Amino acid sequence: MLVKFFATYRQIAGCKSCDVPAPGNVLALMEALSKRWPEFRNLILNEDGTDKGDDVIIMVNGRHIDHLDGVATKLTEDDYVAVTPLVAGG
Amino acid sequence: MTRGNGWVGTILRVNLTDGTIKKEPLNMKDANDFVGARGLGTKYYCNEVDPKVDPLSPENKMIFMTGPLTGTAACSAGRYEVVSKAPLTGIIGAANSGGHFGPELKYAGYDGIIFEGKADHPVYLHIDDELVELLDATDLWGQGVHPVTEAMEERHGKVRVATIGTPGERGVLFAAIMNDKNRAAGRGGMGAVMGSKNLKAVVVRGTGGVKVANPEGFMNEITRARTMLREHPVTGAGLGALGTEVLVNMINEVGGLPLHNARDGAFWDKADDTSGERLAQTYLVKNQGCFGCTIACGRVTKIEGRGNLDGFGEGPEYEAGWSYGAACGVNDLGAIVKANFICNEQGMDPITLGSTVACAMELFEMGAIPESDIGFPLRFGDAEAMVKITQMCADGEGFGNVIGLGSYRLAEKYGHPELSMSTKKQEMPAYDGRAIQGIGLEYATSNRGGCHVRGYMISPEVMGIPVKMDPLTTEGKGAMLKTFQDLTALCDSTGICLFTTFGIGLPEIAGQYREAVGSTETDEEILLKGERIWNLEKRFNLEAGVEKDTLPPRLLREALPSGPAKGKVNELQTMLADYYEARNWTADGIPTQEKLDELSITY
Amino acid sequence: MAKQLVVDPKKCVSCRTCELVCSFKHNEEFNPRLSNVSVFHYEEAAITVPIMCMQCDEAACAAICPTGALKRNADGVVTHDANKCIVCKMCVSACPLGNVSYSVAKKKIFKCDLCDGETWCAVHCPTGAISVVDPDEVPDKKKLAADKMKAAVEEVCA
Repeated sequence: MLVKFFATYRQIAGCKSCDVPAPGNVLALMEALSKRWPEFRNLILNEDGTDKGDDVIIMVNGRHIDHLDGVATKLTEDDYVAVTPLVAGG
Repeated sequence: MTRGNGWVGTILRVNLTDGTIKKEPLNMKDANDFVGARGLGTKYYCNEVDPKVDPLSPENKMIFMTGPLTGTAACSAGRYEVVSKAPLTGIIGAANSGGHFGPELKYAGYDGIIFEGKADHPVYLHIDDELVELLDATDLWGQGVHPVTEAMEERHGKVRVATIGTPGERGVLFAAIMNDKNRAAGRGGMGAVMGSKNLKAVVVRGTGGVKVANPEGFMNEITRARTMLREHPVTGAGLGALGTEVLVNMINEVGGLPLHNARDGAFWDKADDTSGERLAQTYLVKNQGCFGCTIACGRVTKIEGRGNLDGFGEGPEYEAGWSYGAACGVNDLGAIVKANFICNEQGMDPITLGSTVACAMELFEMGAIPESDIGFPLRFGDAEAMVKITQMCADGEGFGNVIGLGSYRLAEKYGHPELSMSTKKQEMPAYDGRAIQGIGLEYATSNRGGCHVRGYMISPEVMGIPVKMDPLTTEGKGAMLKTFQDLTALCDSTGICLFTTFGIGLPEIAGQYREAVGSTETDEEILLKGERIWNLEKRFNLEAGVEKDTLPPRLLREALPSGPAKGKVNELQTMLADYYEARNWTADGIPTQEKLDELSITY
Repeated sequence: MAKQLVVDPKKCVSCRTCELVCSFKHNEEFNPRLSNVSVFHYEEAAITVPIMCMQCDEAACAAICPTGALKRNADGVVTHDANKCIVCKMCVSACPLGNVSYSVAKKKIFKCDLCDGETWCAVHCPTGAISVVDPDEVPDKKKLAADKMKAAVEEVCA
């Protein structure tokens, strides 16, 4: 499953995207990313393992998880995910 | 010590026809009712100018106006507004700019300048505190923004300069007024209005200051706002590090980055080549802030070792990165940076220019524009042709003059006005209204035509600020847009930068405003001023003869072919009805008498 | 012992907040020309440098002042007493760094007094380009160089 990183998260991951085996859902993916890049843990997950909410944007197939099933959104190998800190512009 | 109210109390009235310069007391009633900058400038303009006026005639006026927070240490309070009827659209044009020029005007002792008439030869206005004079600009005419700015600094010392390049002199319909070299009052063609008056530049040096009503309360408010901005991920880190171009990947991810004049949908596999992340690795020298800004989104950029693309300047911002990037299908970031440099150096709006080039590319590819008219093939993805045509527009050469008309007049000339991606003849920026429904409504209803900074629906629909709204649905968009439009009108009018609203909201804007002007009004009463400004702009537009609120047929009928929003068109009619209801306007989008009475608008 | 202002031009984004808050602290108005801090921007180098009084140990301004208006206080800050000042402007000439100023509009001398310990320029600087430190804690450049050397050696050995 393809995971893309945007903005400052690229520096943490050291790459634009990576392939990971699809975990069950988004929360499990965040756990997996935090395991592989410990720096992510404080950024995308709270200490108790819940998601950070507004400061992180996670999109599954281009849809913000808030408009899907949140961190419980299920993932399959065919899905792609983008993870980015909250950014804006204009 | 004597207390102030954010204002310095004087308006300059400069009649270019007879050369007279008058100093008038600021109309405090209007200042209280319409806040400042965009709102107050529009009020002065509506008071004095026939809405049917030809924008490029001597009968038109052009107003530079600051806000009550401009020049203070309020967060990002370096803004001023240029207000006039816009030649590109024929409706109200209010263009906002940062840098250091606006504060300097206030330090010289003037809240604003009203330009009337037309000089019989090129002139510039020189202001040195009390000294205000019109000087001969014959030697500056025909020169670009940077040489003029440098010449003025050499002649007058430590001054701030707002000037036009040669496109403004020639009446290019999207010519910008540039201050501090690379900051633009960019949209709608304010530079063409300035050029039509034979006014080349406004040069200011001021040694005075700005006082506020409640110094202690004001420091508390600005400290609170500045702390919030510093701690917010967008305004405290993201924008400074990666600039506005950081949005490219994000908007592309939601399938909302219009590709090839929006012909080929809104998802681009090459988007990352033009991203803020990429810019930071390549041409970025450092980030830079405007006056009093904690955010510092500005990009100082340099191109080296690329031959005729080499240059040094600022930008691009997200919108220019898109108009020269995805809109034209160009993924050579150096070419995009270069085209943006040309816009800055000669004073042109890159959103309209890049979109117009994209429109010409589509017309060329479908055979509607013959190659003999252009002189070379102009296809999507051709970076060299894109830079070349931009330079030709800047120089007034050949087909560049047709580009200088903007996409609506260009497409109309070649028989396809429907292919201009514009509303009310001004080009829409870098978000597709099919993938992000609310921004489509914003384009359709914006009081200055296609524009993203009149009610930035991307904030709730993509970033989730202040609430998360689904970009693909229409519910609640009308009411949310109304609030955003009113808040934006308020924010612009105080003199602080709209980008602060990513990190702060109405309580902080109203708080800073209250302590500066010495008001006891509630947040809601202050927000009502924003609504008053919006309705006045609308009233002017109706008198000027505005087109109805709609979108290009492409967004209403051609479904997106790919991406997360595949199959979507913009569902404008549904949202429009909600929006007019939220505004308490008629079903045709006309402000009701009841609403005008409530807002005390007699225009 | 006095705190010391430290300037890091690399972090400065040219916003001039320091000029604004300084002038406001001392004059209750926002007026960069009455600020004890001045921000200089070098466009082509894309570098900006804020400059202010460094409270010299051998303060030429105080040494030359004929009336004792400029004096070092118990905190080590060279302060200016407007009541004793005859506005002869000798201090303006004497300061080798140009950090004592004369306002034509206000007809007075002004210089940095570290805001009686509040150092508004540092407190409000959005990027940390101006910070205030104990003189003992000023980053030791020798140590920084040593840190770099250590990192380089580590990399080579790894």
